[in-house]
Amino acid sequence: MQFCGLLLEKIEAITTVNQFKICSSNPSLPSNSEVDEALAGVLSRTCTLEGRLRTASQAYNKLGEVKADAQIAADMVDKTAALARDVSAKVRQLDLARSRVAECQRRVHDLIDLQLCSAGVEAAIKAHDYETGAAHVSRFLSMDPGSVAAARARGAADPRDAMTRAANTLREHLVHKFEEAARKEDEASVERLFKLFPQIGRAEEGVDLLAKYLAKQAEATIRRACVVAEPHSEAAVFADALTRVVEAGGAAVEKARVPAAVVAPGLLHRAIKAIQPAVCLGAGCVYKDMVISRRLDLDPRRSSRSPLSAEPILAELALAHSRVRLYFGFLRRKAEADASTLPEAAKKASIEAVEKIITGCELMRTGQDILAHYLEVERYFLEESVNKALKLSTPQTGTTTSSLVDDVFFIARKVIRRSISSGSVDGACAVLNEVASVVERSVCAALRRWLRAPPPDPLPLPPPRAAQLTVLDAAGELANRLNRDVDAQRQLFLAHMNEAEAGGEWSERLAAEACAEAEPLCRGASERAKLHSCASGLGAAAAAFRAAHDLALAGVKAALKPRVHAWAEVIVDPDVGPDEMDDDADALPLALEQFCEGARAQVSARTVDALLLGVLADVASRAESRILHHHYDRVRHGLLARLVGITDFKIEDIKRLKL
Amino acid sequence: MEDYKFLFKVVLVGNAGVGKTCLVRRFTQGLFPPGQGATIGVDFMIKTVEVDGEKVKLQIWDTAGQERFRSITQSYYRSAHALILVYDISCQPTFDCLPDWLREIEEYANNKVLRILVGNKTDREDREIPRHIGEDFAQRHGMYFLETSAKEAENVERLFMEIAVELMEQAKCKELPKYDGNLGPINGGVSCRIRFFVYIFLIRKLLQ
Repeated sequence: MQFCGLLLEKIEAITTVNQFKICSSNPSLPSNSEVDEALAGVLSRTCTLEGRLRTASQAYNKLGEVKADAQIAADMVDKTAALARDVSAKVRQLDLARSRVAECQRRVHDLIDLQLCSAGVEAAIKAHDYETGAAHVSRFLSMDPGSVAAARARGAADPRDAMTRAANTLREHLVHKFEEAARKEDEASVERLFKLFPQIGRAEEGVDLLAKYLAKQAEATIRRACVVAEPHSEAAVFADALTRVVEAGGAAVEKARVPAAVVAPGLLHRAIKAIQPAVCLGAGCVYKDMVISRRLDLDPRRSSRSPLSAEPILAELALAHSRVRLYFGFLRRKAEADASTLPEAAKKASIEAVEKIITGCELMRTGQDILAHYLEVERYFLEESVNKALKLSTPQTGTTTSSLVDDVFFIARKVIRRSISSGSVDGACAVLNEVASVVERSVCAALRRWLRAPPPDPLPLPPPRAAQLTVLDAAGELANRLNRDVDAQRQLFLAHMNEAEAGGEWSERLAAEACAEAEPLCRGASERAKLHSCASGLGAAAAAFRAAHDLALAGVKAALKPRVHAWAEVIVDPDVGPDEMDDDADALPLALEQFCEGARAQVSARTVDALLLGVLADVASRAESRILHHHYDRVRHGLLARLVGITDFKIEDIKRLKL
Repeated sequence: MEDYKFLFKVVLVGNAGVGKTCLVRRFTQGLFPPGQGATIGVDFMIKTVEVDGEKVKLQIWDTAGQERFRSITQSYYRSAHALILVYDISCQPTFDCLPDWLREIEEYANNKVLRILVGNKTDREDREIPRHIGEDFAQRHGMYFLETSAKEAENVERLFMEIAVELMEQAKCKELPKYDGNLGPINGGVSCRIRFFVYIFLIRKLLQ
């Protein structure tokens, strides 16, 4: 076909004879036979083409029919959609109507129930079935206020009046029954009745009644707990009594919290408010008896009490205060647990209400009074004990050792730990202040006093040459021999020097320990900062100890000076020949080695280092000044000789001129 | 390392209700808390001020005025650099108690402590203590004197700033031994000896 098409195109393009001639002579054009073949091929396909044309025209007719059907279907779908939309709208309307019907039914039921409830409550009261009565009231309270309003709007009598009357009657009956059960101490009934109050919308009244009952119970227990059988016993009988009192209070609060937490959370503060006066009263009684029996109203400094006898009282006071603090901690924890299910604002309000009760109650003031007595006696104990340690450590003839710092820090640690055991940050801070003050004022001052004047030759430095003992050394030796006690004095001086050094370390360690141990007592950053600041007072005491140690070091260095100067003289002696100098080269290192060995046995390595550094610096500076002196002498002698040579002066005349 | 050059402890004492806490809070927080409750024990606040271009940290201890806290508050006297004794100008008993407070200060505080007498609540119209009475008392007992109002923020800043200035001057003038506990650099014994022998060697060379 393609070939035939091309052929026809070419034949059509021939318009002139010349063109025909050119074309017929062109060998690329097909021959006649080829053209005939092609035309025969085309003609043979005519039937097929005609058949196909027929089929196509039939298909076109069918497609028209399909199009019409499709149009019908599309119209039907549109109609269905419109119908569905209509149905949906109707369903929504039906839903609305149904919910309105349900609401109407509920309101009708409410109104019917209201009638039934008021009747039911009266019936339940008569049958002493308070649970049913309370359930009716609960139903009434849960009713939609719209029901009653709608009924009233239609002009009907207010059905609530009857119900309110019935509910009040039930409340009165419940209160009466509760009080009766409380009188009989029928705990099961009390608990049963208490649970009904929240149902009738009187949760607060229920908590108040329960707390009143529990407070009465606690009061009796506390009254018994207050009695101290042996008030003059050395055991902590009053602290024990106070413990019993706060335990009774705590038990009552817990008894109130457990049922209240289920039915009326966030009302624990009402229970605590009712129970707390009984606890305060009991604790006040115990405190008053303790003040009388332990004679706490007297100034401890004016009483005949010895520091030793004050210790049990101090332990008792610290224990008593810690019990009060524990009780308050217990109340705070319980309040938090009680309000844990409430929204944040209500929780905060409930916890604040408890905190207000705690800060305003008499027990808080009793606790503060106990702490005040404790601190007063503790200060007395500390001062007296330290004074005693000072007396025992006062240098006496023949004494060679001292345990002042050990004793004082033993006392200080004991006192600080006891103050921490009282559970009060303020108490611990006050005791830390007192300890720092006493240590600095008494102990450091005493050490400074004793270390101010060192005995002769506290740490011996061997002299340069045995034969060249200076007059001073010889005098010192003689004094040593005459005074048999000087050795003991020397040892005691070094012991105090060591104590001053140890005191600095002790103070810092004590402050760090106190901070670590009192850390759990701190309720916030402010208390922590307060504690750390007070502990830093011990740092000032440490500095005072170091100052005492420095004073002792200066004394030792001063005592070593004559020998040091003698060594400097030997080193720079211009009369010593080079050979002799070489022989003596090791003498000073040997002497220093001996000095260090001797010193190490008696004082710390740090002190030895400091002393050695001082001695070396002294020797060096002295030697330097002596070198300059000798050099000046030599120059002067040379100058004098020259002056004598060139003038008529005699050497004495020139010397008199002080050149 | 905190950025301050001087640290001073200032302790406020005086009867309950004279306005110690309000003075401290006015100075440290710029507030006047209405209905401020009684202080329990001791409160602790800090404010850093600048004096002559140098930072001064004031550690302010606000003590409880009630008698039952006396044994706690007394322990803070000794470490104080300045003691502010406060009375209420509209309450005669608070002024009458000043001699008792002074006795306590004499007993427990350092005798060189800076003492300031402050008559607070000058905003009140029912003044009972005339200014000159307060001034006379302060003069007789060698104290500085100032009248303040924490409510109106009158003289509060001045009170603490003057304390800072005075204490800084004292600190600069004082030539007290420094208890800093520093013995200076301590070299080891061996290195000391090496240094020494080098020194001796040089001396010998010089002599030759």
